Amino acid sequence: MLSVENLHKSFQASGGAEVRAVDGVGLSIPGGRLLTLLGPSGCGKTTTLRCIAGLERPDSGRIVIGDQTVFDSARRIFVPPSDRGIGMVFQSYAIWPHMSVFENVAFPLRVARNRRYLAAEIRDKVARALEMVRLGGFERRSATQLSGGQQQRLALARGLVHEPRILLLDEPLSNLDAKLREQMRFELKHLQRTLRITTVYVTHDQSEALALSDEVAVFNSGRIAQRGAPQEIYSHPASRFVADFIGSANFFPGTVSREADGDGMVEVATAHGTFRCRFADKVLAGAQVVVTARPEDLMLYLTPPPDGANALSGTIAGRVFLGDVIDYIVSIGEAELRIRARPEHDFRVRQSVHIGVAPQKCVGLPT
Amino acid sequence: MLPVTVANGRIDGGVPFPGAGRFAGLLRPSTFILAACVLVALWFVAVPVSALFYNAFTEDTGFGPGAFSLDNFVEAYSSWQILGLFRNSFVFAAGTALTTFVLGGLVSWAVERTDAPGAALFHSLALLSFAIPGLLMAMAWIFVFSPNIGWANKLIQNAFHLQAAPVSIYTMGGMIWALSSHYFPLAYLALGPALRVLDVRMEEAGVVSGARDWQVLAKITLPLLRPAILSAMLLLFVLGMSSYEVPRLIGRPARIDVFTTDIQSAIIQTPPEFGVASALALSLLAICIVAVFFYRRATRHAEAFATITGKGYMPTRIKLGRWRWPVAILVGAMFALALGLPLLTLIWQSFFRNLALPFMGSDAPFTLENYRFVLSYPIFVSAVRTSVLLAAMAATIIAGLTLVMAWVALRSLPRYGWILDAIAFTPIAIPGVIVGAGILVAYLMLPIPVYNTIWILLIAYVTLYLPYGMRFASSGISQVHRELEEVAEVAGARLGQVFLRVLLPLLLPVLLAGWIYVFVLSVRELGASIFLVGPGTHVLGTITLTMWEEGGSYGAVAALGVIQIIPLIAIVAGLRWLELRVERRQQAARTE
Repeated sequence: MLSVENLHKSFQASGGAEVRAVDGVGLSIPGGRLLTLLGPSGCGKTTTLRCIAGLERPDSGRIVIGDQTVFDSARRIFVPPSDRGIGMVFQSYAIWPHMSVFENVAFPLRVARNRRYLAAEIRDKVARALEMVRLGGFERRSATQLSGGQQQRLALARGLVHEPRILLLDEPLSNLDAKLREQMRFELKHLQRTLRITTVYVTHDQSEALALSDEVAVFNSGRIAQRGAPQEIYSHPASRFVADFIGSANFFPGTVSREADGDGMVEVATAHGTFRCRFADKVLAGAQVVVTARPEDLMLYLTPPPDGANALSGTIAGRVFLGDVIDYIVSIGEAELRIRARPEHDFRVRQSVHIGVAPQKCVGLPT
Repeated sequence: MLPVTVANGRIDGGVPFPGAGRFAGLLRPSTFILAACVLVALWFVAVPVSALFYNAFTEDTGFGPGAFSLDNFVEAYSSWQILGLFRNSFVFAAGTALTTFVLGGLVSWAVERTDAPGAALFHSLALLSFAIPGLLMAMAWIFVFSPNIGWANKLIQNAFHLQAAPVSIYTMGGMIWALSSHYFPLAYLALGPALRVLDVRMEEAGVVSGARDWQVLAKITLPLLRPAILSAMLLLFVLGMSSYEVPRLIGRPARIDVFTTDIQSAIIQTPPEFGVASALALSLLAICIVAVFFYRRATRHAEAFATITGKGYMPTRIKLGRWRWPVAILVGAMFALALGLPLLTLIWQSFFRNLALPFMGSDAPFTLENYRFVLSYPIFVSAVRTSVLLAAMAATIIAGLTLVMAWVALRSLPRYGWILDAIAFTPIAIPGVIVGAGILVAYLMLPIPVYNTIWILLIAYVTLYLPYGMRFASSGISQVHRELEEVAEVAGARLGQVFLRVLLPLLLPVLLAGWIYVFVLSVRELGASIFLVGPGTHVLGTITLTMWEEGGSYGAVAALGVIQIIPLIAIVAGLRWLELRVERRQQAARTE
């Protein structure tokens, strides 16, 4: 449905230096799916989205929406954004304050080029779009009278009313407060699944990305660091950047001491003992690697952990009670670990503890 | 700030308007300060206006106003001439608003929305235009486009072998052009900020919805800018209505009378027709007040529009590509034509005794005689002293008064603050001519012996420029975080100490900028001064006018103008420097 090939876009930074905002990005999503572009600010995700929309002109590459090539540097094709058949929701919503709710949503129909809509048709479509985002009955309101969450839903209705081929969302939830954001996340997902509209979603919030996406593309300084289903990216991060950015992770640098055995487990010698872990690719003995483990996968024990687990010991240096879980900082020699545990057994600060983690939960990464 | 009481070991802030403490609350010192401010401001604003009303509705006896009568209105409005007066005033003011809007709109588009070079230069030029007294602009355009002495006319006549002068400044079009060339930078300054804060996402949302560029312009950009456009046009309309210099120098010889000149003629008649002048002034006042009322409504909506632009704002300028330089040159040419040409003419003329034509060969000797003459002319020297002294006093009084007023309005009693704000803003709607006429008739009746002294001019300047001082002081105070004052109070400082040791140092740059602004406006003033100068109290504007109308040599008048403009430009350049410093400091504070 949408494919982006080898996209490049540079900006002139103030001071004259050239910034490669997008540096060889390639993407594709089948129809009806939701792809998230995830990354820290300045990683090129928004620029990529704006290139897909046509609001930025890429330096080189190719963008195809449906069966229409909307940009191709080799063939000198650039379709203006108004002809791309897209819907878009901006971070600031960009609700036009001089128009009523109805007029905001009706706008894409009024300026439509492929056909003229009758007044009754417009009324009908706008009503349906507003109903869809639970703003039915708000037609006559002035757009400035809406709350943040309502403006966000209005922007969504405006982006969907003309039944675009793809929907582009630029951090649509980041201006909402935490509770509303969670609620909107579910509504958005439900809506996207119901309409089966191909969607590209830009966010810097990893939990949003994991909750919403069929596929996630993690961006790092203008390139895609990893692409895959949310589950896969979470449990098989391909690099230290991805492991760190998605969730949080503990890192143990070390050297491969024994190559993969029959179970596919590799042994790594670290400063805190020998770890058994998984590697996505084959590694050779002697390679410098880093073992990652998620805070919720590390277990705290009063006695040494059961056989087969990677074992460590340390002292509780700090604890934060978060309700359903407790976050601990545990010192192990020079280093500190972050461990997230259920609150059933409460450990106190300065208490000595044993730590265990299943080898299946440890991911080895090349450095 | 409200008193903080410690009770039972807990610190409680005073409740702003507790039901039980209603009367206790009204006895606080800030209430007295508020009352004093209201009285002082009311005195300045209300006295001239009510004197006009009183004179308009009473019999003009020649020895002050008499019994109630409507004769003045009959006399002022019964002739057909009054229709011409209304028409001329409207055409002149509306024409100026429209012309300045087109020119200023082009400048603000180029400066704020495109990557055309020279944005900083154009902005500075726009501010410098404000240093030029309106009287001198009108004079300079006469030197350029008068059918008899205008050099541009001579140039065109010679080039195309024409018999008659092709252009005449002594027409309605000439008047509109002379004022617009001076005021279009104001239109730019009014429109620029609106274009700057316009969120490009609003336009992009239109484009991705499928709208073409012209549809975005017509349905999104222009409607979003409508409040700003409307308010800029209304402001310039009021300025056009209030303008005195251009109608006096260009309109009167052309027999195109407007309200300001007609009011003045009624007063200088013997015997002076104070009643008729007052009756005429009420019409002008009503027109200006209605316009300012709509102006304020438009700007209020502008704020409502501005507040809903969300985060993630990134200014994107239109990339003009190969049109970058042509656009910059077009804007530059506009400044050169509108401001450079008259200034250059004035400077050129100041070096020749008799009429001189720039850019044409002349055998008249280049001379500094004009400057020597003007600088040794006793009336000029004393007028400079009077003008500078008056402007400095007016600026100081306004800075002090508006600082206290703005503080009371914003901080101390925000609930009643709008009263002060409204009073201080009112003179914006009162043309200088009306302030002058009003003060003249008021202090002829009041037993306060200021007539024929510089104090009556001082009263006029303070009244006229109160709104400008208030604007500087309010914006300054609203940018100082309230907690900075509160922490000083918690640390044990009294009200006076908070004012002197915290607020004043923080506000000094803004107050200084406001001071300079009012100073320059006062030095330029003519419309009110014309009524209030006496034999011993000439100011710069009035002696320049006298010299122009009563036959100084062209060279001497031009030199007189240049001598005024150069220091004013230097002062405004200083003001710009100061503003840049304030802006930088605010930016630094914002990024922290």
